[in-house]
Amino acid sequence: MDVHAAAVFEKVTKFYPRRWPSRSVTALDQVSLTVPWGEVLGLIGPNRAGKTTLVKTLLSICHPTGGRVMRLECPWSDRSTLAKIGYVHEDPAFPRYLTAWQLVEGYGRLAGVAAAPLHKRTGELLEQVGLSDRSQETIAGFSKGMLQRLALAQALVNDPRLLVLDEPSEGMDLPARRLLHEVICQRRLRGHSVLLVSHALADVQRLCDRVAVLRDGRVAFVGRVADLAQDVASHEPQSLECAVEPLYEGASA
Amino acid sequence: MKRTPVLTTWVWLIRDTFRQSMAHGIGAVLLVISLVSIGVCLSLGVNGRSTLAQGDENPDFLSRRDADATNVENLNSSGVIVADGSLTLAFGAMQVPLARDTRSAIRFVELVLAGGVADTLGLLLTLIWTAGFLPSFLERRNICVLLAKPAPRWALLLGKYIGVLAFVLFNAVVFVGGTWTAIGLRTGFWDPTYLLSVPLLLLHFSIFFGFSVLLAVCTQNAVVCVFGSIVFWGVAWSMNFGRHLLVTSTDLVSETVRSSYLSGLIDFGYWVLPKPADLGVLLFHALGAGDHFGKALDLNVLEAHGFSMTLSVFSSLAFAAFVLWTSTRKFEATDY
Repeated sequence: MDVHAAAVFEKVTKFYPRRWPSRSVTALDQVSLTVPWGEVLGLIGPNRAGKTTLVKTLLSICHPTGGRVMRLECPWSDRSTLAKIGYVHEDPAFPRYLTAWQLVEGYGRLAGVAAAPLHKRTGELLEQVGLSDRSQETIAGFSKGMLQRLALAQALVNDPRLLVLDEPSEGMDLPARRLLHEVICQRRLRGHSVLLVSHALADVQRLCDRVAVLRDGRVAFVGRVADLAQDVASHEPQSLECAVEPLYEGASA
Repeated sequence: MKRTPVLTTWVWLIRDTFRQSMAHGIGAVLLVISLVSIGVCLSLGVNGRSTLAQGDENPDFLSRRDADATNVENLNSSGVIVADGSLTLAFGAMQVPLARDTRSAIRFVELVLAGGVADTLGLLLTLIWTAGFLPSFLERRNICVLLAKPAPRWALLLGKYIGVLAFVLFNAVVFVGGTWTAIGLRTGFWDPTYLLSVPLLLLHFSIFFGFSVLLAVCTQNAVVCVFGSIVFWGVAWSMNFGRHLLVTSTDLVSETVRSSYLSGLIDFGYWVLPKPADLGVLLFHALGAGDHFGKALDLNVLEAHGFSMTLSVFSSLAFAAFVLWTSTRKFEATDY
């Protein structure tokens, strides 16, 4: 397995022991994946397939039970690499008393960005995500779509080499989706990597170089999007929705 | 010089906690309480004989009530001092006859402010109000983004803890410093020992908020944190106070308990748990409370029974350190 990649998962297992009243769960079972530099990897799968858990093990939010996780060519336990990673949570809940400006600037400080360039970068990012006119308002009154834009801004504030997006387009309107697509394409052009977790298969088909399908904590498919979207029998292209259906079938949830 | 991620995180979390407290109205309420107390102190006044004590001497004098039975002028002319002064409140609207000299009257006011308003009412209110800070900080959707930043997990948790302590310190300084200045300006009595209540209040709060942090990490539930920390404070105070009563009292029941296995159990509980009553004794001793109140727990009596305040304070601090260490270990190991 190539360790010279933005992210490497090698036989990663995550087991949640039984906690009453829940039962024990194997969220990830021997997952091996690589996100090379300059590539956009789409991660898809049915609900409870282990997509978010995989992302969380990459970001040290979750501890893997077994296997090896490498982040920016360093072990996952090296937290300094997180300074060069951006993360959009699937359902972010930022402190509601902060203004948009305070949030982006503050999270930039936490990511280790120096104060001098941070001020300029915060302004630019809020402009880019279309929130510059509301930058001094507290985010308590922001809609879901605005929060997603803000989440994207805070994820980009440290100019990350690896951008991890977990359901980023949820609640986004059309201009915001277009912005998201632009951001992903720009990252790829700069040689940076993106890990995109999404249920929006059209976005995945359009944006990703490769795609990985997780089912019941295992990798059911990994390869080029075009390969997945090709009908096995006729070798004709088909929609991604049709292509993943047999892969999703049999999932426990 | 470039600041380390830990320091940067702490500075940001301290600012964040102040913003949070202002947004929740807690900061404003505490400021109002401080301002009202300062206002009351600014309305204080002392009339009549002001100095009866000589240096550190605790003076013998006749209070006005005793003197009423006799002729005050005769007593004064024969060299017996009669406390004839009064303390006024609300710029003279209310008058309280003093049965003591000015210094002890002002001490009494400071004692009520430090021991009653700040150390009991203020501490419990702040403990309740800030108990929700950690659970909302550790809320899964919020903490996940923060955990994806380079600062170590322990730094995030301790940063929030330090942020709340900084907020309490700020309010304690405003309250104690403000009332001290107001009393000094109105009465000319500047007692520096009153200022000792700031570190004592902070010490008291830091120990019990540490327990609240542990509850927050384990449960992420604000209700559990509020009730848990208050119940824990009550249990620790009862254990502390009860143990001292047992040791110092001479009645038959106490002697019977002292000779039983219960004594060892109570001693164990006393040394393991933090000791809020001892911190209260320390505060009251610093402010000379023995001149004004009955001595339920007298430091001198306790010391005669082998009590060491230093050991008591350090064992309380050790408890806080252990609880914080356990909290950070738990936080480090938790999957979000």
